[in-house]
Parts: sequence; C-alpha cells; structure tokens
Amino acid sequence: MSQIMNPPSSSRIKVRPAAEREGRKDYISIRDFGFWYGEKKALDAISLDIPERQVVAFIGPSGCGKSTLLRNLNRMNDLVDGIRHEGDITINGRSIYDPGLEVISLRRRVGMVFQKSNPFPKSIFENVVYALRVVGVRDRAVLEEACETSLRKAALWDEVKDRLNDSALGLSGGQMQRLCIARAIANRPEILLMDEPCSALDPIATGKIEELIHELKEQFTIVIVTHSMQQAARVSDRTAFFYLGKQIEYDTTEKIFMNPSQAQTEAYISGRFG
Amino acid sequence: METSDKKPSLAAAPEARFTVSPMTLATDRWMGRLIRFGGVGVVLAVFGMLAFLIFQVFPLFTGAKVEPVGSLSVPAGAVAFGEDEYGDLPYVVLADGKVIFQRAKDGSKVLEWAPALAARRVTAVRSYPRSGLVFLGLSDGAVQELRVVYRSTFDAAGKRTVEPVVTALEPLQVGKPGLPCVEVWNAKGAQARLILVRQEEAGRPLLTAVRLTERKGLGGKAKVTVSAPFVVAADAASVDKVLLPSTAESLIVIGKSGEVRTYADDGATFSFLQAFTPFKESGDPAVASAGMIFGNVSVVFVSRTGEQQVWSMYPQLQPDGKSLRRWGKIHDGEALAGAGEGVYAAEGNKCYLAVAGGKLQIRNMTTGSLRWEGDAPSGSIRQLAFAGNYDRFTALSADGKLHRWSIVDHHPESSWGAFFGKIWYEGATGPAYTWQSSAGSDEFEAKYSLVPLFYGTVKGPFYALLFALPIALTAAIYVSQFLRPEYRQVVKPVMEIMASLPSVVLGFLAGLWLAPLVDPRLISLFCAVGILAPAALFAGFLWSVLPQPVRRQVKPGMEFLWLLPFLALCAFFAWKSGPAVEAAFFTVKDSASGLPIADFREWWRQTTGATYDSRNSLVVGFVMGFAVIPIVFTIAEDALSNVPNSLVSGSLALGASRWQTVWSVVVPTAISGIVSGVMIGFGRAIGETMIVVMATGNTAVMESNPFSGMRTLSANIAVELPEAASGHTHYRALFLGACCLFLLTFVINTLAEVLRQRLRERYKVV
Ligand SMILES: Nc1ncnc2c1ncn2[C@@H]1O[C@H](COP(=O)(O)OP(=O)(O)OP(=O)(O)O)[C@@H](O)[C@H]1O
Ligand SMILES: [Mg+2]
Repeated sequence: MSQIMNPPSSSRIKVRPAAEREGRKDYISIRDFGFWYGEKKALDAISLDIPERQVVAFIGPSGCGKSTLLRNLNRMNDLVDGIRHEGDITINGRSIYDPGLEVISLRRRVGMVFQKSNPFPKSIFENVVYALRVVGVRDRAVLEEACETSLRKAALWDEVKDRLNDSALGLSGGQMQRLCIARAIANRPEILLMDEPCSALDPIATGKIEELIHELKEQFTIVIVTHSMQQAARVSDRTAFFYLGKQIEYDTTEKIFMNPSQAQTEAYISGRFG
Repeated sequence: METSDKKPSLAAAPEARFTVSPMTLATDRWMGRLIRFGGVGVVLAVFGMLAFLIFQVFPLFTGAKVEPVGSLSVPAGAVAFGEDEYGDLPYVVLADGKVIFQRAKDGSKVLEWAPALAARRVTAVRSYPRSGLVFLGLSDGAVQELRVVYRSTFDAAGKRTVEPVVTALEPLQVGKPGLPCVEVWNAKGAQARLILVRQEEAGRPLLTAVRLTERKGLGGKAKVTVSAPFVVAADAASVDKVLLPSTAESLIVIGKSGEVRTYADDGATFSFLQAFTPFKESGDPAVASAGMIFGNVSVVFVSRTGEQQVWSMYPQLQPDGKSLRRWGKIHDGEALAGAGEGVYAAEGNKCYLAVAGGKLQIRNMTTGSLRWEGDAPSGSIRQLAFAGNYDRFTALSADGKLHRWSIVDHHPESSWGAFFGKIWYEGATGPAYTWQSSAGSDEFEAKYSLVPLFYGTVKGPFYALLFALPIALTAAIYVSQFLRPEYRQVVKPVMEIMASLPSVVLGFLAGLWLAPLVDPRLISLFCAVGILAPAALFAGFLWSVLPQPVRRQVKPGMEFLWLLPFLALCAFFAWKSGPAVEAAFFTVKDSASGLPIADFREWWRQTTGATYDSRNSLVVGFVMGFAVIPIVFTIAEDALSNVPNSLVSGSLALGASRWQTVWSVVVPTAISGIVSGVMIGFGRAIGETMIVVMATGNTAVMESNPFSGMRTLSANIAVELPEAASGHTHYRALFLGACCLFLLTFVINTLAEVLRQRLRERYKVV
C-alpha cells in the first residue's frame, strides 16, 4: 500500500480527503445504468454520484466498461450502431436523455479527452480553438487568448508557442495528447472526461497533466479513466472500481486504496489480479 | 511452417528456425523483378504511344522536298512549253509558231512541227501545258488553235512508244482584223469556251473575245458555233496584265498604274465589277506579278518591292445592306526577296510558286506558310507549270533551258497556323477557327483548325461537371457521413454498377430519347431541377422547427425516407408549372404567324440571337454527368469514409454539429481524395466519346451558348478516322488531335496530382 501512496516520481501528491470543496454532491448522478452494444451487455446496474468540482477515477481491468461508461456521460456512444441503455444519467438534475436537450450542447458542457490522441489535420492553433470556432467565436483576439490559456494549462505552451501555425501532426505523441487536452478545455466545459490521458506520456508530462487536473478541478468536474493505480491515488478524490461491466466499489480514493471493502478491489489495486 | 512442424529433426537444430529458405528468397527476388518489369512496361507503353502519335504527326510540320531533276536544252527562241502526263516528251513553241518535241531523257528531237500560215505571221503564243492546247495569235488578229496529243502504240513485244501528234485548227478571226495579236488566252467556261486576244490600236489596248459554244449534234458530232467578236474591258486605261480564270467567268485586268479592274461574265459580254489598287499605300503601287490561285477566286499580287497580297471574292456587306461577293484583301503575305517576276499556281491545291529576287518560293496561299525555297535558274523564267498532281514542276527559261523539279509535299495545306491559328479561308468573311475536313466538291479546301475542337473538349466536360459535381460530392458526403450503414451498403454498389454503364448506352438514351423529350419541356425541367435545392433546404428548415419528440421518431440517417417523397412532390409540381412559367416569362411573337407563343427556344433565339439545337450542350452535360457522377461519387465517398472515426468523434465531442464536423474536419481531411475523384471525373469527361458523338450535332462551333452543340477532339477522331485516308493530311490532323488530347489529359492529370500531393501534405492524417 505504501508504495502506492508514495510513488517514487512525486512525493508531493497524496491521497486527498474527499469532498473538501462545496458543491452538489450528486452533480452527475448515474442511476441503475445498464448498457448494451447490440446483444452484448457492457454495463450492468451502475449507480454512482459524482460531486461537483471533484476528480473521480474509474479503474478496472481492461474491457470492464470504463470507457463505455465515460462515453455515455457525453453520449458519444450514440455514434455506435445498435446500442441500448436502461436507467438514467442526470447532470445537475437534468437527464442527459431528456428529449428537449440538444446533444450538441451537452457535449459543449461535457468535454472529452480520448484514449488515443486525435488531433485534426490542421494547425496547432486551429486545433486548440476548434471548440470556440464551432460555437461561432470569430474575434481573433479572443481566440488567441483562449489558445494561449489552454495551451499553458495543458503544459504545452512553451513547446509550441513559436509554431502555432504548424500542422498539429508534426507534434510528438505526448505533445499531441496534451494538445487534445488543451483543445478539450478551450471552451471551458463544466465537466471534463479523460480516458487514460497519460497513457502515451513520459513521467514529466504525466506530472504536468496531473498538476493540470488539480488546477482544473477548481472549476471543472473531472472524470478520469486510468490504468495507473498511482495516478488514481494521486489525482482523484473518489474512485470507482469496475469489473466485467459491474460496479464493484465506489468510495473516496482514500477508502478504496487504504481500506477497500471488497476483496476484488483489494486484489486489483494490490496487483494480484488480472 | 508446416514442414517444420512435420519434421521433428528441425527441433534438434534450433538455428533452422531462423534460416530463410532459398525458395522464399527466390520468390521474393522474382516477384520484385516481375513488378519492376510491369512498372517499366507501363511507362514504356505510354511513351511508346506518345512516340507513335508524334511519329504520325511529324510529317505535317516538315516542308516540301523539292529537287531539281535536270534541265533540257531547247532552242533559244522558245517562248512556251508543254508536256505529256509524265514529262517524258516535252515540247517547246518558238516565237514563229514552230513546235519542237524533245525527249526529256537525252534531249533528242522527236518531232518538229511548223504551222502553214501563208502570208500571216505568228505574233503571240500561249501554251496550256496541262491540256495540250497551244494558241497562236496571228499578225491579222486571227487565232489558230493547236492540239497536242500523245498517241501511245505498243509493238509486238509489248513495248510502249509514244508519238506526239499536233493538229492545227482553222484560224479564227477573234481580234480586230489587220491588227497583230499581242497576247492570246483561252478558257473553258461552263457553257462556252472563250478566246481572248489583246491588240494595240493607236497606242490603246484593245481586248476582244469570242465565245465558242459546242453542241452535240444528232450523230454525236459536235457542232461549234462561234459568236461575233466583242470588245471587253474597253474602259481600262492601260493593260499590263490580264488574268483569265480557267472557268472564264470573270476577267481581271491589271493596269500599269497598279489598278486592278475586275469584270464578270454577264452572259453577253463582261461587265465591270470592281476596281481596286492593292498596293495603294505602298511607295510603288504597280503590280509586278500576279497569279490566279487554283479555285479561281483568289489572286496573289506581288509588288515591285516584293510585298505580297492575296485578294479573294467573298460575301461583303454593301452600303445598301445586301451581301454580295466582291473582291477584298484576305492576306498580307510575307515580303519576298525582290520584285515579283511571276506567280504560278499549283493545280489541285492552294499553293503557288513565286519568283522574286533570284529565288523560287512555294507558298501556301491560305496559310501563308513557306513550303520550299530555292534558287531560280539563271535565265529569266518565261513559263512555269506544275504537274496536275503537284509532284513536279517545269520552267522554261529565256536562255533556252527547260528545267524540271520534283516535289514531295504530302501536306501542303498544313502548318502551325492552320491547326492552331485563325485562318481566313477563301470565301469566308473573315479569319476564323474552322474545322471542316471534307465536302462534296474537289475544289473544296479542307480546314483543320483544332481550336474549336479544343473548345468543345472543354465545353462538354464543363457542363457535365457543372451538373455532376454538386450532385456527386453532396451525395458522397451524405452517404458517407449521414446515411445509415445498411443503406450505404446498397447505394455504393449500385453507384459502382452505374459507373460501368457503357457510355454508348448513355449516348443513345441522350440523343434519341432525352433530347427530343426535353426539347419541348425545357422550362419544366429547369423548374423541376431548380426547385430541388430550395426544397431540400426548406425541408431541412421544417425539420429543425419540428419538436424534438417528433424528430426522435426518425432514426438518425433515415431522414431521407420522408425527404425523398417531399422532394419528388416539389419536383412534380414544378414540372407541372413549367408551361405557366414559360408563358409568363418566355412569350415571344412567332415569326411566321405573328401571334404570341410561349416557347423558350424561340425566345432564346430572338433575345440572344444565338442558336438553339435540340441536341445541345445541356443534354450532353446532363448525360455525361451521369457517366461522371458514379466515378466522382465512388472515389470521393471512399476518401470521406476513410477519414478516421476518431477525428469525427473528436470533433463531435468538442460540441460541433454533424455538419460542422463534416465541413471543417472530414472534408478537409479527405480533400486530396475528393480532388482525385473530381480530376478523374474530369478526365473521363474529356475522353468521353460516344455520348458526345450521339448526343450532339457534332458541329465544330465555338460558342459558349449552352443550347448549341459542340465537337470534341475524341468525338472528332471517332467520327472521322474511318473515312480519313491513311497518310493524308486529314488522317494526320486527327492524330494531331489525339496528340493534343493526350497532352491535355497529361497536363490536367499532372496538375491534379500536384494539387493532390500538396493537399495531402497539408491534411495528412497520422
Ligand atoms: N463499439 C463497440 N461495439 C461493441 N462492443 C464494444 C464496443 N466498444 C466496446 N465494446 C465492448 O464493451 C466492453 C467494454 O469496453 P470498454 O472499451 O468500455 O472497456 P475499457 O474498460 O475501456 O477497456 P480498456 O481499459 O482496455 O480501455 C468490451 O468488452 C468491449 O469489447
Ligand atoms: Mg478504454
């Protein structure tokens, strides 16, 4: 356990006590949520509340449905054919499946960073300000400012400030991932979904992203999927552990890592588990 | 792999797992070679094709090959000559009317014939070498006609001997009795033959003519009636030269001052037509030499300074508004080396030989191009004549020599200007780009301008793409990005089948079914097509204002199920309202009855003054569009579908609408593929042949008018190659068209490829 709590790379980061900021406790509320890809049931009876301006980590073995749940939060799964769901997800009290709710505005509210970085074949600048462009911002000064702020937050500004007009595809894999993060926060969404944002990053960049998460949670609610126990421990306030599409345990990160109530959780975080 | 499993011994030698079998290496090597061979083969085949085309075209741009083939010494006093068909046995006529035949091979004299004229003398001689006619003008104004015939006989061994025979006709009194003839001419008109003599009466020129009308009598015996002599061109102050066309339908008299007076046969005599001075603006207006070009409607004038002008008869607008055939200058030729000494027309084409400044030049009258230049013989040339098939010419010089040249010039009418420039053809009212390769008459001059064909080659595809691109590209975007995959799987193969539809079927439909169908209902069609875009937009608007619960009834990607009937309904009503629209906007007065009629075709003709063909560019564009749509669609759709899904998700996750995603992420990413599709479609449209052949009138016009037809380079080849004689200028001109088509597609494809590479560089996806 102590290994997890004190990762060698950074001693500053500790497990934080949950819910120390005020805000809605059930900002995002998932109720009896089940989800099918065609005949295959990928999620089963998920129920959890994500408090406002906190970081929640989803952990679990590969294929357990973390990404699926995450992608349901901004309805990115709508793009997949033959999907079906049961239960409900509400954000700030309103169901995301409300027929009166435009899915586009939901996605503007709920930003997302994908597991695999996916910069557009455009310039770095255009990538970052894309979200602003689609809402109709034309003012160059506003765009430039947003670009700089977002890139600074994503710890990329210093590396790219001289080549904002170069193609984003000329960046390294880690830089691309940070660019995608910058892109996702440029329009200041309320919720940020991050699917293994650091899987392609070196420890330094990872540290920067983790710092960013700390900073962002002052304003945003963050849901992060990660395979790194250390990372979950370092950055999250609460952690949910999934296994085979089921939610095994959801509690404060402290509780999950120090004193998990389920044997499966214990086994997974201590690495004795496939 | 299998073998290693079967043989347990391999396990004992672990390194065997790592050795590469010679078979694998050999296959690899051989496949590599095969592929390289194939690649090089394709490149060679393309270059071979180009080389073949160039090889076919090259002779068009070589000049004439003219070689002297020896000269024959003839009596020094010879003033005229003539020869047989092969030039083996030429004759010269001396000033006293003696005709001497000599063998061309060795100069030996074969026959000497002298006229029996008693007290009269020969004062003028004119020989027409190609017809074997010699006219002797006599000292009393009479004219004696001699006919030279070559009679061939075969001896027992089958060897041919040719024997010339001269027949002298009874002298005819043509000129004023008592005055000697100065010059004599003969020409054969449609009805009558004309013999013209020039005499001098008290220092004034006197031109007198008679007509000889030949009527076949009952027994097949010809009976010749000779008219009374009549004076022509009495108003000419001075006569320096007289040009009498071989058809005798007009007469051109050139005065010493350089004034040219033309007369036309009016049945009885020759009436004055027109007077002009070609070199009025030059320092010396005198005409040094002049010659009538084959076809009898053009004359080449050369001044004393070597300036050349070509004048021709063509319809000209007169002050009273009538258009009459009058003489006018059609070309300013290149200046010659010195004063004109003679202009001699070739037979059968528009070339002429000009003698000036010690040089002989063969030029083409129409294109002005110099076919050949060579040195003139030492003595001044008395007479020069081309053989009938333009394979040699003979000149009699004053120093008693008969010079002979051979000509090899297969394409006298070709030049860069003829193919690519504006040319003023005989009889036309101005310079123009014209393609007209054949006509009924022998004197017809083929016109090979490729420019109108180029124009058609670009015009057809332009209208096709105008129609096809919006449809193909929007369809590709819709199918790849919005349509549900189940339907996409149906639409794509159907489109691909459409792409393989033979274009002759499309052309057949276009020409025989669509064109006559569309023709009377053009406005209805415009309305029906025109309504589609606004109707689709309106449908989109309706859709967006529908409440969410209603919209959720339709699955995304299935919207077309109600959009299609809506559009069909709109188009139907638009089609039905066509006649009303036509009546409202396109009513014109019928020229025949004077009643107002609602007819767009008539309206178009009257308001724009342009033509309206029922097989027009729109029909071609429409049907060629059908040939192009599947290609553009398939390639563009592939490119659009290949845009990684992650980019689409990335854009959607940032709150972009589907359309924003398509427009700002998918299309730019796929743009190089889309450009390829468009270019391949364009290439297909340019090379498209059968549709154009069948759906247009194939008139080589240069009009941007969408309601006129066109002729493309490829259609031109398809239509005319079967009737073009191999090796003929026409044949090679078609190959030149093919060459140009090749280059055109090459240039377009190269540009497209460069554009595509740059776009790809710009929007490449990792
Ligand atoms: N588009 C899809 N269509 C069908 N099945 C899918 C699809 N996406 C995911 N699945 C299935 O749903 C299950 C959950 O997948 P998910 O991607 O959520 O796993 P994950 O927990 O994110 O795994 P990893 O840690 O490897 O990313 C898997 O069994 C997967 O095979
Ligand atoms: Mg995942």
